Amino acid sequence: MMRQTLALFLDAYRELNARKLFWITLVLSVLVVGAYACIGINQTGVTILWFQMETSPFDSDMVPPRLFYSFIFSFLAVPFWLTWIATILALITTASLIPDFLSSGAVELSLSKPIRRSRLLLTKFLSGLLFAALQVVVFTIASFLVIGIRGGSWEFGIFLAVPIVILFFSYLYSISMLLALLTRSTMAALLLTLLIWFGLFSITVTDDMLLSMREARVMEVQIYERREQIQIEGERNELRRLEALGEEIPEGELANPLLLATREQLQDRRAALRRASRRTGLWTLLRTPMPKTTETIDYLGRSLISMEELEKIMNPAGDEEYDVEKTIDRRARGIMRVRMGFDDPAVAHRTEVIQRERGFGWTIGTSLGFELVVVGVCCLIFSRRDF
Amino acid sequence: MPDLTIDIHDVAKTYRGKIEALRGIEMQVHAGEVFGLLGPNGAGKSTLVKILMTVIRPTRCAGTVLGSRVGHKPTLARVGYLPEHHKFPEYLTGGQVLDFYGAMADVPRADRRRRADELLETVGMTKWKKKKVGSYSKGMRQRLGIAQALINDPDLVVLDEPTDGVDPMGRRDIRDVVKLLRDQGKTVFINSHLLSELELVCDRVAILVKGLVRQQGTLDELAGGDERYEIRLSAPLPPTGTIDLGVDSGLISIDGRTIRVSTTDIERVQPVIAALVSRGIAIHSMGPARPSLEDLFMAAVESDPGVGA
Repeated sequence: MMRQTLALFLDAYRELNARKLFWITLVLSVLVVGAYACIGINQTGVTILWFQMETSPFDSDMVPPRLFYSFIFSFLAVPFWLTWIATILALITTASLIPDFLSSGAVELSLSKPIRRSRLLLTKFLSGLLFAALQVVVFTIASFLVIGIRGGSWEFGIFLAVPIVILFFSYLYSISMLLALLTRSTMAALLLTLLIWFGLFSITVTDDMLLSMREARVMEVQIYERREQIQIEGERNELRRLEALGEEIPEGELANPLLLATREQLQDRRAALRRASRRTGLWTLLRTPMPKTTETIDYLGRSLISMEELEKIMNPAGDEEYDVEKTIDRRARGIMRVRMGFDDPAVAHRTEVIQRERGFGWTIGTSLGFELVVVGVCCLIFSRRDF
Repeated sequence: MPDLTIDIHDVAKTYRGKIEALRGIEMQVHAGEVFGLLGPNGAGKSTLVKILMTVIRPTRCAGTVLGSRVGHKPTLARVGYLPEHHKFPEYLTGGQVLDFYGAMADVPRADRRRRADELLETVGMTKWKKKKVGSYSKGMRQRLGIAQALINDPDLVVLDEPTDGVDPMGRRDIRDVVKLLRDQGKTVFINSHLLSELELVCDRVAILVKGLVRQQGTLDELAGGDERYEIRLSAPLPPTGTIDLGVDSGLISIDGRTIRVSTTDIERVQPVIAALVSRGIAIHSMGPARPSLEDLFMAAVESDPGVGA
């Protein structure tokens, strides 16, 4: 049992080792880490090699070096380098593993060995993740050293990137394997996998937009509710004032045209919120069974950098527009316009909080469910096929 | 070990699209014999071999290989298989190929190493052990393939077209390996279209035509009743019309310088010799003969209506 598994993994390593792209990607990975080792932060601002830039208030007082490097690692290096460029290189390198394994003349050799077909394919699948695993391990160790030496803090937390990136790659690789089984063509498997991946990415981007738009509507409702409250308060004060003066009291508070207009607006905004909620809910339902590639990677940043720390980086000057409560209050008092856009910092803040609340279970659980189904279908096809 | 290494009944395979590759194969291979499977292209030979090796799932199948039902995976640890047109990973060296497929056949590491060296020696590939398969010639790949089929010290060795693309010297070497295996008491199952090759090594053969076994048995059994004497002349018979050779002309066939007399009775050949001598025709050689495998094969294939039509 173990003997065959080990042999398949050793074979996968030798196969990768024989490919130039594997080593090219590894060298590029190290270069990327080297590049961000050149960036630093001190009391004056950001430094690149020995060039000093004045980026106050974005300096080491506001953003400690530890946080600065963790941020670069989990919000720039991993999402852009590891999960876009390196992943495309990984998909290109590994796309041919399954078609080669299935090619006539090769597959017979493996199938005629005392190993069950489903176990054979499963082991082959897992060994295909070796590429991503080796890349991310090397990358993370190098980053760990950079953060340790340059940032002065040994961040063991970043090793979370290893399982996260492997997991992320495994969603795509399972799709690639299914397509390879169906088409037996490296090119078709590769191109269709990339296409599906970009499809999943656009679905996530759309989800982000819909979520932001809903949160904007939620805030608008809250603003009008606050304004209504303020106006009722003002009305009561006015009544009390009139009462104290012994003047005649007008017919009911509802007669106030400003309050009536606010209530009308509130109805209108509530209807808009219901529509936005329905859209967002439907979209969420639609994408629940799909693998969440982007969010799986985002989970890394979300667990390494807390909401407060993220705010420090995004808003080092402490602008009030990032503050949800203050924004609602200011707009309710008519200091700013009421309409919220999905790019409002306060909306982005609320959206980020909600996405953080979705948590590990939903993001990874549903994605793993998808992967399990895909791998299961692969095993079924592979077990029943004649070669 | 059971007496029958392969004992299958009613093996059928219908591919999608209703192509009947096999229509009920009955076949028995005895332990310790070299068994040849022959048949024209498209007869279903490869399908049958692949069913035995669990590469193809049969539509119907009853019977056993090494005492276990066909498709029983653990039994394959005792089987060695050289697939037709096999492709080894080009990034592996010959030694690594043997180690990898040995591990896949669940052979312990120490045994693998020892056997790999022995087998490379047997197939004459020792000095290529550390060279990448990508640099091998066709014949070398075939030799390595045979070594691969033997890495687990199997009881049954299945060779699919083992001499495909191999030069005459290589063929002789492969024949010697097959004989060595027989001497070691292993059962060897060879699928080949090179009839003369099979004739030299096989104890028994089966002739497959259009998904059915036409004939099966030892070469003597297959030739049964078709033994004859052949007289070779030093020059072709002069075309003098009908020549009375002193026996029933139905027993005689003339093919250039060869006269065949279909009889096992040497006495009945004497009048022919007398007739030839009396005409001053020089006899080069004479002796009993039995039909070659090719003759048997052609007879089996041609007796099937629809083949070659």
